[in-house]
Amino acid sequence: MGVHPQALAGTELSRRSLLKRGLLGGSLLALGGMGFLALRGGRAVPLPPEGLRVFSPREYAVLDAVARRLVRPRKGWPTVDELGVALAADRIAERTEKSAQKELKQLLGLFENGLAGFLFGGWTRPFTGLDGEEQDRVLAQWRDSSLAIRRTGFSALRTLVLAGYYKSPRVWPAVGYPGLPAGIHRPEAIEWRGGDTPRPDGNGVWHGDPLK
Amino acid sequence: MSGRILDGRTHTQDTTLHCDVCVVGSGAGGSVLAERLVARGLAVVMLEEGGYWTRRSFDGREDLAYARLYQELANRATDDQSVRIFQGRNVGGGTTVNWCTCFRTPRAVLERWRDQFGVQGLDEAALVPHWEAIEQRLHIAEWPEERMNANNRVLWDGCGKLGYARGLIRRNVHNCANLGFCGLGCPVDAKMAMNVTLIPDAVEKGMTVQANASGRRLLVRGRRVEGVEAALLDPETDRPTGVKVTVRSRAVAVCGGAINSPAFLLRSGLDGQGNVGKRFFLHPVVIMSAVMPDRVEPWSGAPQAAYSRHFIDRGPGKVGFILEVPPVMPLIAATVFPGEGERHQAILEQLPFTQTTIAICEDGVLPDDVGGTVRLRDPTERRVSIDYPLRPFHFEAFRTACKEMGRIQFAGGAREVRSLHSVPVRISRVEDVGGALDRAPWEAGRVRVATAHQMGGCGMGRDPRTSVVDSQLRYHGMDNLFVVDGSVFPTSLGVNPQETIFGIARWASQFVAAGAA
Repeated sequence: MGVHPQALAGTELSRRSLLKRGLLGGSLLALGGMGFLALRGGRAVPLPPEGLRVFSPREYAVLDAVARRLVRPRKGWPTVDELGVALAADRIAERTEKSAQKELKQLLGLFENGLAGFLFGGWTRPFTGLDGEEQDRVLAQWRDSSLAIRRTGFSALRTLVLAGYYKSPRVWPAVGYPGLPAGIHRPEAIEWRGGDTPRPDGNGVWHGDPLK
Repeated sequence: MSGRILDGRTHTQDTTLHCDVCVVGSGAGGSVLAERLVARGLAVVMLEEGGYWTRRSFDGREDLAYARLYQELANRATDDQSVRIFQGRNVGGGTTVNWCTCFRTPRAVLERWRDQFGVQGLDEAALVPHWEAIEQRLHIAEWPEERMNANNRVLWDGCGKLGYARGLIRRNVHNCANLGFCGLGCPVDAKMAMNVTLIPDAVEKGMTVQANASGRRLLVRGRRVEGVEAALLDPETDRPTGVKVTVRSRAVAVCGGAINSPAFLLRSGLDGQGNVGKRFFLHPVVIMSAVMPDRVEPWSGAPQAAYSRHFIDRGPGKVGFILEVPPVMPLIAATVFPGEGERHQAILEQLPFTQTTIAICEDGVLPDDVGGTVRLRDPTERRVSIDYPLRPFHFEAFRTACKEMGRIQFAGGAREVRSLHSVPVRISRVEDVGGALDRAPWEAGRVRVATAHQMGGCGMGRDPRTSVVDSQLRYHGMDNLFVVDGSVFPTSLGVNPQETIFGIARWASQFVAAGAA
């Protein structure tokens, strides 16, 4: 089974008709869920021992591949492997609503799907089967597409993957960021919840200057 | 007798609470309202979907703060992802995570609401006593120029050199340590946010706060609302626990903000003759970054200290804008600053030398600017549909604002300025600013647009055919249902909204109290 490219290109791709059905719209994303043609030849990656909670191994591989292009090996920077970026993205997605998870999974399927790649950019292999420079070109095609829906998809995927990397304080030295000055955070501070406990002095009636 | 702050673990079976007024939402509107109602001797139960977090948890970690304190992990966005929406979700709402900026409502805005939308009784004279009381309690005062950080200094100096009007920002802080972490929850309780001021004030006087309680629907009978049903969420996973809390009350005030309040009404079958969720405004923001010769450390120091409203009135047919400065930290910088791979990493390596200026566009003022729409997706989900079409007048304002910000940044000493297009426009000479930005693609999804201000969706006005609540913030056609938050604004403000919400909520407490009689 399959969808003929011309049938897809000529029908449902107006921005409004797609967007009103969700983050990325139903028709285009449905393609991402189809298993024909070009899921052959994709690259598998080792799965994290912690296990995946949202994404499939195939989707995980796409996230991993995108992460490796968005964050390159660079002196002084932790690697994508060291930070487990695709796993972090899985955990971020876990906290989103089911409908958002579904759309993200469809988006990853669309990235990987060779038919979509052929329609959009002339690639017939899955995203994970392309070499690095080819992947960069695919990402740029999504980013710069005249089709708003692809720019939307690129933005969503970029944000998810970058959040998976830059959420780690291990990145801070690379970008010259020191974090909160030492000694400021007080994990032992009283968490007042009313009842019979008197309200602590530091709760909205703060008198001290912590830097003095 | 003191009330309590409860969380999603407090109840293990369905529970019913009774009170005079149920306040749904604990941000700038709900907290001010609730404190006043309690001061009048009314029994109040406050429901808040987010968790209860305090300085004990405010450790300056972006990832933890976004997950705990913001809507959708700070990734809320319009349906097409063209506008990223930063919005609080915790006990204290946006006040826990905002950047402490306080403006009274511009007189022209109140006059516009009166003249164009039939809002009655809401003028400066009515609001001044409430603003004064709030300003005293929250220590709202101008931040001194000598304590201004380097990030704000560029805007301040640049405007000064170009002869643009500029001002010092008033902040709700007390003994502020000038750290700069306001957006992640103040680690020293110096920010006079609702979670450390009016909420505990009201709890001391008996209010019950139920955190991790997602308002599911209003209990409506005829012209009256009899309470609220809420689903408890697990404080750790944010997933429903299966336990329901029902609040039976004599009146209900919906205070969930300009996205969640319309959604809550719609879930309850109240569409305000089709007006609920319409005329939604969000002060769309465009951004310019600059590389400075010296360290800026844009994460450090009071986030907002200087502003310029020089361009707020640009004449007929044009959207005005206000200029301010945001704090910038790695996670937010990585997702907002453009680029991929090594180019992106090179931009981030310059973070300590990066200055960023924002232009906040005043939407809903032009005659044909009807803003966006908030709709339900799946009524069982908390995620809603937010449609905000960016139109030619937005892009004209974005382009003009970016040019002006670039000129200001150069006047402030920048070596290079950059737009936040998907492929950034990099400019190294001030004389190139205009031409380079004219050639840039101004289209949704090609340039970063964000917002931290959500307004409208339950607009107030005289006519039920064009508004949702009346001039006393009472839902048209209902006797004891009120909406008290930024969603009632008929237009946006052209200034940061928290003090307007404070003032209107305090003013409106008299009507809500009467509605509970």
